[in-house]
Amino acid sequence: MNRREFLECAAILVAGISASQAGFTLSTEQKTYLATAPDYIDKAATYLNEKQKATLAMLCETILPRTDTPGAIDAGVPRFVELMVFEWLNEAERTIFLDGMNELMDKVQLRYQKPFEALPENKRVNVLEKLERQASDSGWYDIGSAALRDFISDAPFVCQLKELTIWGFFTSEVGSTQVLRYEAMPMKFDGHRKLGEDESAWAAPLV
Amino acid sequence: MLEAKNYDFDAIVVGSGITGGWAAKELTEKGLKVLVLERGKELQHGTGYLGEHAPDWKLPYQGKRPRELYEKEYPIQSKSYAFSEATRHFFTNDKQNPYVQDDKPFDWMRADVVGGRSLLWGRQTYRWSEQDFQANAQDGHGIPWPIGYKDIAPWYSYVEKFIGVSGEAMGLDELPDSEFLPPMGMHKLEETIRGRLKRKAPDIKLTMGRAAILTEDHKGRAACHYCGPCHRGCSTGSYFSSQSSTLPAARTTGNLVLRANSVVEKLVYDPASGKISEVRVIDSRTGERLVFRSRIVFLCASTVASTQLLMNSQSETFANGLGNQGGALGHYMMDHALGMAGMGIFLDDMDSYWYGNRPNGMYIPRFRNLKAQDNNNDFLRGYGYQVHALRMNWQSSFNKKGFGADLKDSLRKPGPWIWALAAFTECLPDKRNRMYLHPGKKDRFGIPQVAFDAAWRDNEHKLWNDAVQQGDRILKAAGSVFSIKQEKLESVMGAGIHEMGTARMGNDPAESVLNAHNQVHGVPNLFVTDGSCMTSSSCVNPSLTYMALTARACDYAVKQLSQGVI
Repeated sequence: MNRREFLECAAILVAGISASQAGFTLSTEQKTYLATAPDYIDKAATYLNEKQKATLAMLCETILPRTDTPGAIDAGVPRFVELMVFEWLNEAERTIFLDGMNELMDKVQLRYQKPFEALPENKRVNVLEKLERQASDSGWYDIGSAALRDFISDAPFVCQLKELTIWGFFTSEVGSTQVLRYEAMPMKFDGHRKLGEDESAWAAPLV
Repeated sequence: MLEAKNYDFDAIVVGSGITGGWAAKELTEKGLKVLVLERGKELQHGTGYLGEHAPDWKLPYQGKRPRELYEKEYPIQSKSYAFSEATRHFFTNDKQNPYVQDDKPFDWMRADVVGGRSLLWGRQTYRWSEQDFQANAQDGHGIPWPIGYKDIAPWYSYVEKFIGVSGEAMGLDELPDSEFLPPMGMHKLEETIRGRLKRKAPDIKLTMGRAAILTEDHKGRAACHYCGPCHRGCSTGSYFSSQSSTLPAARTTGNLVLRANSVVEKLVYDPASGKISEVRVIDSRTGERLVFRSRIVFLCASTVASTQLLMNSQSETFANGLGNQGGALGHYMMDHALGMAGMGIFLDDMDSYWYGNRPNGMYIPRFRNLKAQDNNNDFLRGYGYQVHALRMNWQSSFNKKGFGADLKDSLRKPGPWIWALAAFTECLPDKRNRMYLHPGKKDRFGIPQVAFDAAWRDNEHKLWNDAVQQGDRILKAAGSVFSIKQEKLESVMGAGIHEMGTARMGNDPAESVLNAHNQVHGVPNLFVTDGSCMTSSSCVNPSLTYMALTARACDYAVKQLSQGVI
């Protein structure tokens, strides 16, 4: 079976679900075949006001900018972060995030007389580097895996922002396929594949 | 023998997982009309695998775990390596299905669908050795096995030829070879390490993981396509599950009826015939109570669930639980103490990478106490390691400092190699390690809840300590530039998901529950062939042995039936 045949089979299986047994064998939550579900970030993100959205987008882009490959905005990361802040963080964590972002917005406005997103890149990086220096004794910087480690509940705003931005970017379709490499159906294993100087890691599937 | 009309089926099999599927296949292929009762929900092979091939960006929260839901509803199951939003529909809801672990924590991992944990297992497939079957008799822990390697060897072959086991023949007494499909390929680093170990630690053998994953097409199932996370389900049937293999084979005979949502409450023992006369069931959706009758009954519900059922089937004859003549039922619970004993960072073969997600690691078979007791240690028996090679990536470097193009570029590229040793240590059969029915607490069906009172003992801790020390030696010999040890055994019993014992096999009914053919002492039409039957634990993954014992017991049961003995 080659990849095309395989994906066609998968499509038939999915079509079969709605037509046949799903109605009485699967509960509502089970009816979603995840591979054909909408992308998570396609959900409407309507929690922040326009000013906040503009600043958040530039914060994400400053962490992971567009280079010769797409950046955070290209990958939809600002929407991911907004959704996660309101749907995934708990109330205390969300307060840290929103307070941190509002404080940053106010301070930048006061000091530069313009919003964060209007600053040149080196200034934006300086702002974030200063926050990171202040946060550097946080347990968030201890060794660990983003996939396995529990979220550090008292991590400062800049750490929350980095974790959500980096996670959102490298698990997005754009990040997985255009910045990392992604192959849904490799069909074989080769443990001797040459790695070129500038080649990306695979976007390995999560559990 | 009673008239046929008194029976609804020739055989009833409780459970549709790795052993229930085998019982269903064997008994239906021998011409018996079989009813399989599965507690979990209906699930179709293929269409039920809702997480299969879903890329990260399709998952809720792009794969970040919904913490609140897991804490409230899945506090135990969410500890499983296989638990995520792509697999959660396979698992039991802990909140709705409570059990008691007052003093000592016990992780009871449970599936809740047709196919059971055969959908979720790690697929590692190893034969026991003669030494494993002799261990109890030699060191006096537990009771002697009523069977030896020669009794089970043909059944290992029989099962392996059907399920398909990829692996490499090594000719080792301590890890007998299976009937192999070609082994999976190695990483270049793994070859480098294997070469170093040969020279610097010749007692350590390193071989490709033996896995019930196909490396070539096999009996109508397709070779692995290396997508990666098997436990999301595999619609090409490339790994063995009852869903992909044994249940379809049983259906083909026309002799199978499978009833999901069927909680078996009790087996009724008839003192006049000396047999099980009824299987009492509660439909989990409607609460309806049903009774089924059959000539023989196979319990394949998993170690804890089968023993729970035996205990809940007490009668005048068996006041302390079915088949419990001498008090062994519920005791001698074992599991494999499992954990990441050590890991090392390697700077070799940095220009070598991979293509395809190999769902398998490598294996270091037991090397301690091989011939007799090694004279430089203070523990009995041994352990093996499952070893995994991977490269650091954005997930392991996500919290590095910095911003901008440099950060992005460093997160984008693969980092150094990591080679990690997961130790699986043998567990001695100890009467103190037990499960029992809680005297007060009942579940939503009115069935007494299971309670656990089991913990690692002295020998398991000593084995773990040795596995950590030896792991460090192996990492150094392999060429690690930086190694980390996990000094303390942190996993609790049950977390190895190899729970076994509690209805052990043995020749003496006063000390065991099952005879040499997995038949309950004193109840000739009742067989128990899941992990509860185990008399000792070995250190290798047990599923293959459960499958072989099931096929062997089916053969015996049908011969006994046809001879009119049962």
